[in-house]
Amino acid sequence: MKRLFIIAFVAGLLAVAVAATLWPFPEHVRYRSISSVPADGGRMEEFVIHWPEDRIARPRERGAALPAAAAVGAVVLEDSAGRRVSAELFRLRDTEDNVIGVAGRLAGTGGAIADRGRSASNWLLVIPSRGALFLAQSDVLDTTVREGAAAEGSLALAPAQAAAFWTDRPRIRITSPAPAGDGPGTTRPGTTGRVLRGTSEFAGLRGSFTETWDLEEVNADGSTRGRILLSTITVGAN
Amino acid sequence: MVRALVVALGLVLGVLTGAGLMLANPLAWLSGLPPLPGDLAPAKAYRWDNYRGIDGGVADLLGIARPDRAIALMDPALLHVRIGIVVLPAGEGTPAALAVKVSATDDANSLWRAQLGTDDYWSIFWPGEGSVFANAYSNYWAVARDAFFAGIAGGEVMAPSYAVTAPEPLGDPAGVTGASGRYAGFTGEIRELLYPAAAHSGPDLPDPGRAIAIKVNPPPVGTR
Repeated sequence: MKRLFIIAFVAGLLAVAVAATLWPFPEHVRYRSISSVPADGGRMEEFVIHWPEDRIARPRERGAALPAAAAVGAVVLEDSAGRRVSAELFRLRDTEDNVIGVAGRLAGTGGAIADRGRSASNWLLVIPSRGALFLAQSDVLDTTVREGAAAEGSLALAPAQAAAFWTDRPRIRITSPAPAGDGPGTTRPGTTGRVLRGTSEFAGLRGSFTETWDLEEVNADGSTRGRILLSTITVGAN
Repeated sequence: MVRALVVALGLVLGVLTGAGLMLANPLAWLSGLPPLPGDLAPAKAYRWDNYRGIDGGVADLLGIARPDRAIALMDPALLHVRIGIVVLPAGEGTPAALAVKVSATDDANSLWRAQLGTDDYWSIFWPGEGSVFANAYSNYWAVARDAFFAGIAGGEVMAPSYAVTAPEPLGDPAGVTGASGRYAGFTGEIRELLYPAAAHSGPDLPDPGRAIAIKVNPPPVGTR
């Protein structure tokens, strides 16, 4: 009986050892990266976000029966001096429309950040199977989400989601041009959009990017559908 | 009958002993990063209740949790990701900040190496001041270990807080990168703390408390 107990005990130990060795940890699904090489060098990769469907709503957040400019998955923080920061969450797609990751857009105004009427914004792009990219830029206009009032409380308003924003244009490049003389050492002179750093597969990369908003459809209720295009060009930092 | 009971008892005790030995892996004590000095980088407590995706517990890290369809991200590439907006409180000389935090289960998790963690990414913006990005690896091995022994012993052996930030398993660069405003060009370090007390209160109650500490240095001054 004692021998039986010891054998069972050792079998239990071995079972743990086998489980620890062969445990199937979760793995991130990976899609083939779609990149190209521009004529002047570097590696170009584009990322796409569709609004409003790629916005990631917060738990219990309602998406229907809201004003045209209302945005789910967005939060606004404004200080007493009127300096504002907004955060938005999105799904991130490749150019074949596969959801490959998530993106966070933070934009801020005032003080040391941007001139009056403009904002600076950051994109955090996380592709779980490949790593993350940190992008920062100056914007050609104030792209922060505003806070509005609704019967249920406050709501976030993204001006570009309303038809009124698009009266004189179907497309706008959000990334501000770089000041004259700025640009040496960048892969795309003429843009303030910078790829600051990457992790994992993107580690050691730097470069530039542009953010462009394309209007695709205006709905009867004054809301819109469209596409955000993030076009990156990266090179090794060394 | 008695033989079956003896076999079952031996197996259960063997599994528990094996799990205990594995969780007591000494590598877990060696892998953490030292905390940042509190006067230079005060820890800012925050809550991360309003998230989408996984809850980030041990079951999620092991891949055995059932997704909560109300908050899960069901796209195949996002099944092991958590994303949310965080408000970092004002205090210690800095205003409140808005942040986006993303965590993804780490591909290099290993039970033999005492690695049970997530890759964490931050984008933080202070109104009117500036912004930074940060990334770090958080290892929840010690939390899992203490929860296991607390379950076995039936007592309270959880620490009041856990310094979860650890070196990146694959040697990836981690840290803080200044992005805009007065923090443009800054570099630095990040540490995170987990306060597990709230986690004992039940699945429908708030997420564990957390805190973040960031220390940044201005870019070096060049000379001509």
